[in-house]
Amino acid sequence: MSKIFSKYSEQINGYIFILPAFLIISLFGIFPVFFGMYMSLHKWKVFKGRFLGFENYQKILGDISSFWIFILGLLIMIASYWVWSEYKDKMKNRIYCFVVSSLILLVSLYLINISWANMMEKGDADFLNSLIYIFYYSFFAITTEVGLGLLIAFALYQKLKGKQFFQMILLFPYITPAVMGGAVFFIIFGKAENSILNEFIGIFGYDPQLWLFDKRKITEIMFGIKIEGFFAGPSLALLTSILYGVWSYTGYYAIILLAGLSIIPSDLYEAAKAEGATRWQTFIKITIPLLMPIIFFLLLTGFINSFQAFNHIMVMKTSSAGETMDVVTIEIFDHFWDRVKFGYAAAEGVVLFIILNVLAISQYVIFRKRLNYD
Amino acid sequence: MISFQKKELIIPYIILFIVMFLSVYPLLYMISVSLMTSGEASNQYLLPKVPRFENYIEVWSSNNFQQYTLNSIIISGLIVIGVLCTSIPAAYAFAKIKFPFRDVIFYSLLLSLMIPEIIALLPHLLIIRGNIFPLPFGPSWMNSLQGLTVPFFGNVFIIFLLRQYIKKIPNELWDAARMDGASHFYFLRKVVIPMSMPIIVTVSLFAFILAWNSFAWPLLILTKEDWFPVTVSIYSFIREAGTQYNLLMAASLISIFPVLLLYFFTQRLFLESISNFGLKQ
Repeated sequence: MSKIFSKYSEQINGYIFILPAFLIISLFGIFPVFFGMYMSLHKWKVFKGRFLGFENYQKILGDISSFWIFILGLLIMIASYWVWSEYKDKMKNRIYCFVVSSLILLVSLYLINISWANMMEKGDADFLNSLIYIFYYSFFAITTEVGLGLLIAFALYQKLKGKQFFQMILLFPYITPAVMGGAVFFIIFGKAENSILNEFIGIFGYDPQLWLFDKRKITEIMFGIKIEGFFAGPSLALLTSILYGVWSYTGYYAIILLAGLSIIPSDLYEAAKAEGATRWQTFIKITIPLLMPIIFFLLLTGFINSFQAFNHIMVMKTSSAGETMDVVTIEIFDHFWDRVKFGYAAAEGVVLFIILNVLAISQYVIFRKRLNYD
Repeated sequence: MISFQKKELIIPYIILFIVMFLSVYPLLYMISVSLMTSGEASNQYLLPKVPRFENYIEVWSSNNFQQYTLNSIIISGLIVIGVLCTSIPAAYAFAKIKFPFRDVIFYSLLLSLMIPEIIALLPHLLIIRGNIFPLPFGPSWMNSLQGLTVPFFGNVFIIFLLRQYIKKIPNELWDAARMDGASHFYFLRKVVIPMSMPIIVTVSLFAFILAWNSFAWPLLILTKEDWFPVTVSIYSFIREAGTQYNLLMAASLISIFPVLLLYFFTQRLFLESISNFGLKQ
């Protein structure tokens, strides 16, 4: 017995060491997905009801096959990128490659468009709208965060005094708890006409706004045009919650991008200098291409992560903003917390999960060839 | 890199000062509002006429706020301890011990990072209510400390960070220790943990902030106020009709304070791990 034990002690030790973490993570991290799928197939109020099959999905998506067409559209979109990146250097003429991949892209856009319209017509419009809202949120938040972060990273890269101090302050919004941060934003972006913010934008000749209490679309406020659908953009209230995201994450991305800047080998710059390149040329030809993989990576992972934004939106939500702030996480939470529709909420969760996984596939496709500096 | 001349350095300084101002402005405004009278606060003055420090005393002594703060401290502290107890051995095993299916297990655990929290919340709720299988320590963990903390005792992200660090510890050390008859546990306690102190401090801070911020989960499983953490109490404060903003801000400020304090002590480590981790994700 002891012989066996000593022979396998290495393995046994290994399993014992990972056991507690493994148990808790599989119970609370992995099991829920499968259980969520199981729940989504049932009528489930507080306790389990009868088996429904795909009825919940039917209600959410209107027509399950158009959801799969939608997913197919997304995958084809990724494929168009793949074709472009894979064959642009192998073909003699880049134009052909470009034409082929843009044709594929057009096909994917067409599929996405018709399937989405189909789902909108028959499905749960609130849920589908919430997906659009979270798309606005993630898209605008992450592009602004990384864009501004880049600017700040460039500024921090210079030889400045008090760099450490600047960095410390920059990360401050990132560590601020979202509920408390949301509370102060709730006051700053309140509806008082003489609030500091409204006075401030008044200096530039803008009218006072209702901010978090305004459900008008941004296109309507900015340009006075009333359009419906996807291109109307987020409401002012949702835009304010995007501002919170920007406030809390910009510094974080700036720090990461700064680290990215500093691992670019300095001899590249020296070589460029010796060749007589101007600063602008160096920037365009060396810095940007070498930084591009990191920027892309941050954009994509950040986009996926922002799909889960919840806390501050929950705090900043106002009833006058109506459903325009009900991003997908809020919508799901609402369904099982207020309306106690567990099975339905679980089905919504599974739909979100599938979409997130497709986005993760795109991340894999784009980054399978990582760029190394050595 | 485009380095600016001495004279041009003014541009990055201006950028950084603006960004710095915007970063701290909400905190400054929070401080300012917390010192106002409720009238001044709802009229959105920039500064109070006379700073009212009584607001803090009023908040601190009212509405069980001390209890909520204490709850948050207990919950977060317990989660940090729990996470460290499960994660350090696991990270060590994943980094240094060879056993069958090690990498398969590790990567399948990593996959769980892809699962949105909102999906997990529902089945968690059923587990906590004891609907799926019987729980130790009572039939249901609703409204209880174990319900608030145990689900967060395993954290893949933290295991990942620790593993990356422990991997760098040279294997020769273990070989030498084994010659002397040391067990894995002994080696972990006497060598690995002291050597990994910087990363352990960082992940503890990280876990603490994460736990302190946790909001959706306590909101879901607490129906009584006994175990309310500060986040939930502030949320219900906002949702009340006719909230006094000055008191709300005073409460928020008090509840941000522990996080800020920890951050100031460990910010250098924190900064380093973010800039290292962001690139290797």
